[in-house]
Amino acid sequence: MTQSKKYPASANFNSGSDAPELKEIKVGFIPLTDCASVVIASLMKFDEKYGIKIIPCKQPSWAAVRDKVVSGELHAAQALYGLVYGVHLGIGGLQKDMAVLMTINNNGQGISLARHLKDKGVTDGTSLARLIKSRDRDYTFAHTFPTGTHAMWLYYWLASYGIDPIADIKTITVPPAQMVMNARVGSMDGFCVGEPWNARGIHDKVSFSVASSQDIWPDHPEKVLGATAEFVAQHPNTARSLVMAMLDAAQFIDTQANRARVAELIASPDYVDAPAEVIAGRFLGNYEDGLGKTWHDQNHIKFFNDGKVPFPYLSDGMWFLTQFKRWGLLKEDPDYLAVAKQINRIELYSQAAAQLNVAVPAEPMRSSTLMDGSVWDGKDPEGYAARFEVYA
Amino acid sequence: MIRILIIDDARDRAAWLKASLELAGFDVVGLLSWEQVDEDSIGAASADVIIVDANAPGRDTLEQISLMSNTLEKPVVVLGAQKDQHSIREAMRAGVSAYVAHEIQGEDLSAIIHVAAARFAEHKRLRDELKEAKSQLSERKLVDRAKGILMADHGYSEPDAYKRMRSMAMSKGKRLAEVAEAIIMAKELGA
Repeated sequence: MTQSKKYPASANFNSGSDAPELKEIKVGFIPLTDCASVVIASLMKFDEKYGIKIIPCKQPSWAAVRDKVVSGELHAAQALYGLVYGVHLGIGGLQKDMAVLMTINNNGQGISLARHLKDKGVTDGTSLARLIKSRDRDYTFAHTFPTGTHAMWLYYWLASYGIDPIADIKTITVPPAQMVMNARVGSMDGFCVGEPWNARGIHDKVSFSVASSQDIWPDHPEKVLGATAEFVAQHPNTARSLVMAMLDAAQFIDTQANRARVAELIASPDYVDAPAEVIAGRFLGNYEDGLGKTWHDQNHIKFFNDGKVPFPYLSDGMWFLTQFKRWGLLKEDPDYLAVAKQINRIELYSQAAAQLNVAVPAEPMRSSTLMDGSVWDGKDPEGYAARFEVYA
Repeated sequence: MIRILIIDDARDRAAWLKASLELAGFDVVGLLSWEQVDEDSIGAASADVIIVDANAPGRDTLEQISLMSNTLEKPVVVLGAQKDQHSIREAMRAGVSAYVAHEIQGEDLSAIIHVAAARFAEHKRLRDELKEAKSQLSERKLVDRAKGILMADHGYSEPDAYKRMRSMAMSKGKRLAEVAEAIIMAKELGA
């Protein structure tokens, strides 16, 4: 237990007098393995322990998630890390002050290539770069949202093989659940998406894996629990209760013995709507690449990891800002630290964590080494954003 | 004049919305299905406003196109303007989302969304009515068939057959169609 001294968690918070302002909370989600904690918090009734009722609301697209959270039709949502930051900065749409209440998961996304590329001798990043540089035709890759995590993983991975994701290829956006179908009809040559859709592509013999997102950045931040700053300001107790229910769910899911059952529960047409066995494989860490290789990945999708996953590290949020700058979504350097401090609600999170005796990291920054050997620790965001050889 | 592009897979709804918007004095420059949406088709329309169904899965595709054209400083398409949050919310309740260029006035946007939202709501109402009418039609067919069975098997006249079914329905607290269904089922079972 590394209980922080910086955030006096329970000093002003007493569960007896701080009843939730709103009991029924509509939480948006997209059919993906990492919607599990929203679903489990509701199905296992962890929400009721904290005086709230979570209503999971399935959404057709990330744009719908964004619009409904901004308009108040949804109170909170499972959201792409970068989507929340994009809305806060007004990139490509309405500006609204946003809040990240916690990180939902680390890892569990991936990059796949369409089967027809294998016939051209492509099996990895190096051979893909050779093919694209031959310029025999245009190549198209799909991600899930312009400011989203999958766009950033895809761009980072391609760029580390010398492929410029803006100049060398065409990128399109496709909702996760439509990805495999689009690959099947030949809409794209590759895609980056959350599970189970890479696994589904292999299962359906439509695509094969070239990288998992944890290959790009082990234990990277992925989905967050997002809400508007306005909602959190008006319903701080509800927000705290929601985090507590989600923390219970995260611990339940990260108990490996529960995972097969969780896979069964989320497989339902009401949630992910994919066969349980397709979800369970990578969910339990059992990977195959669709080219004959199988392995067990220690860094498979994590929801809790002794409180290290859910803590909303400032450096995690700042990383997405550095990539927005790198790819021209931001013209100027923002005040990286100030923006992350506005959005990531470390204080509220720490209060919730303290109630559950969940360990809170002592520092709001963490240090990570990415696939190209570069270290990100949040200390010099301007320098980091400017140091990549491939950029827009 | 404000140029509007409609993207909708429901062709009748799109055509109808087009007519209404034109009646309200707007220029509808194109109707696209989601399958036709790409950088080229969106660029070619050079619309000031794009109206889409808020729940269409293809919306994220449009996000990327509009953001990329923003970066490349082509015609800008963004979601709403802040002061129009109320009308956007209202429109979203009706299942409409509008992507508009920066220079559109708030009143024009409200008018467009108003027309679109009203048309979407009306389209839904008509569809529901049609469904209702279809089920009423099938109920009448059931009753007619049951009447025929009673007439053929028991020699009732048509009014008598109908009366017997109606009194049966009333005494059992069932709907006429349910009684008719039971008669047909009994006949099919060979009772």
